[in-house]
Amino acid sequence: MLTTRNTRAHAEPLRLDVRHFLLPKENAAPDECEDAIGINERTRTYAIADGATEAFDSGNWAKRLAGSWVETEPAPLSIESFQEWVAAQSRLLHESWQGRTLTWYAEEKARRGSFAAFVGVRFRASENLLGWDAIALGDCCLIHSRGGSVLLSLPVAHHENFNSTPLLVPSHESMHASALGQASVRAGTAERGDVFLLLSDAGAAWYLKLCADASPVRAQFDSLLAATQNESLAELLRNERRAGALKDDDVAALRISIA
Amino acid sequence: MADPFGGDAATRKADFVADVVNHTLHDLVIRCTKTEEVRNYYYVSIIGYGRTVGTALTGSLSAQSVVPIADVADYPLQIETRFKRMSDGAGGYVEMPVRVPLWIYPHADGGTPMCEAFTRTRAILEHWLHEHPRGFPPTVLHLTDGESGDGDPTELGRQIMSLGTDDGQVLLFNCHVSSRRAHKVEYPLDAAHLPDGFARTLFNVSSTLPENFLAAAQQLGVNALDGSRGFIFNADPSSVVQFYEIGTSLTGMTPHVWMDA
Repeated sequence: MLTTRNTRAHAEPLRLDVRHFLLPKENAAPDECEDAIGINERTRTYAIADGATEAFDSGNWAKRLAGSWVETEPAPLSIESFQEWVAAQSRLLHESWQGRTLTWYAEEKARRGSFAAFVGVRFRASENLLGWDAIALGDCCLIHSRGGSVLLSLPVAHHENFNSTPLLVPSHESMHASALGQASVRAGTAERGDVFLLLSDAGAAWYLKLCADASPVRAQFDSLLAATQNESLAELLRNERRAGALKDDDVAALRISIA
Repeated sequence: MADPFGGDAATRKADFVADVVNHTLHDLVIRCTKTEEVRNYYYVSIIGYGRTVGTALTGSLSAQSVVPIADVADYPLQIETRFKRMSDGAGGYVEMPVRVPLWIYPHADGGTPMCEAFTRTRAILEHWLHEHPRGFPPTVLHLTDGESGDGDPTELGRQIMSLGTDDGQVLLFNCHVSSRRAHKVEYPLDAAHLPDGFARTLFNVSSTLPENFLAAAQQLGVNALDGSRGFIFNADPSSVVQFYEIGTSLTGMTPHVWMDA
């Protein structure tokens, strides 16, 4: 529960309603899912990460990024603090590999490190406003909607802009300087009725296309996610995959509505 | 293959080609590795020809004409330890030991029975396609250092190129390496500037580069155009490396540039 007030309606305190949903690729077991969600209701920080399938131990890297980011106080929201925080997380990840006996090819993959896309957002209450701060690197997106219109999609603005080689958060220290410096940092304010969606790449590309096409499927997705009707939601996404509208990839979705 | 590349007395063709093939297999394995598991996205057959024609893989892999990439990963002939220069994360470099698998050793012996090699290739493909009629068609990367010694391979080459899956015809790419210091021709659009009949023969049995391969070539800075054939004549060492990088690049993947690693 958030105790700040809406700028226009002073009576009711603003509340964050949070729902989340995770769906692995078709025919993949839940433990094969490389998307991860982090939620900290107390600090009002939320994150998702998407581990790169081709890299070593990326599922754990994504879990570490999303899970630890929301537990870090204050949340690493500047490029500098994000770089420091990622460096510490990288060391922990690489330490977790010590002592393992690996095949030559796993060793080679481990040497190249893990990669994941990441987006995190923190809400903060000030006297009359609900503010938010976000940081993102890769193609996991924060989508801010108001009255059905998309105000912002960070860091990828349009569904046409998704590609197969996004910049990702690397665990290998030698790549930190070049990659992490390109993280997108943004801040804004929210109003009652606003909706923030955090989506991993396939879901984000699909959702932004639905928005661009004014597709009724968007409202269907929103309402199922808002109502935590996860079975129906999974069925909707599977249908969209079968129809070729949604890429067969893990989907992580985190919905924060301002009520 | 026992001779050096044209103009480079220090590099024996057989040594260099074996090195490239080993690197290519290494790269394919790494591409298919998901953490600790190798997924069988590729199946590989390697045929060597000279005094004899047959699989170039030895040991436990020699029993299979087509080997799943997971088996390639698990059964190299040898794993060497080499030292690789890597960033120490603090602006400097350290020499780190890395394990380097080898599947084939250089071997140069005998003539150029290209027709027999194509016949063997065709048989392997026919068997494979009978069992795998769907999906991306096989790619044949043919490397030779000389003219066919057992007849004109044109008809056999055309037969190979006429095979296919529901997704398209078998791709046959040819790379000729020379001991002479001669002008190289890479990925030509037509046969107009080829030096002789042998070059034209190989050109005629070279597939046009499909879009993904063309994109891979262009990413590597190779001057290939829409309509270019998968063919190099008088290739130098860097052309051979690129030939394998392009020939194993699919689905828009960035080619693995191992020489710069």
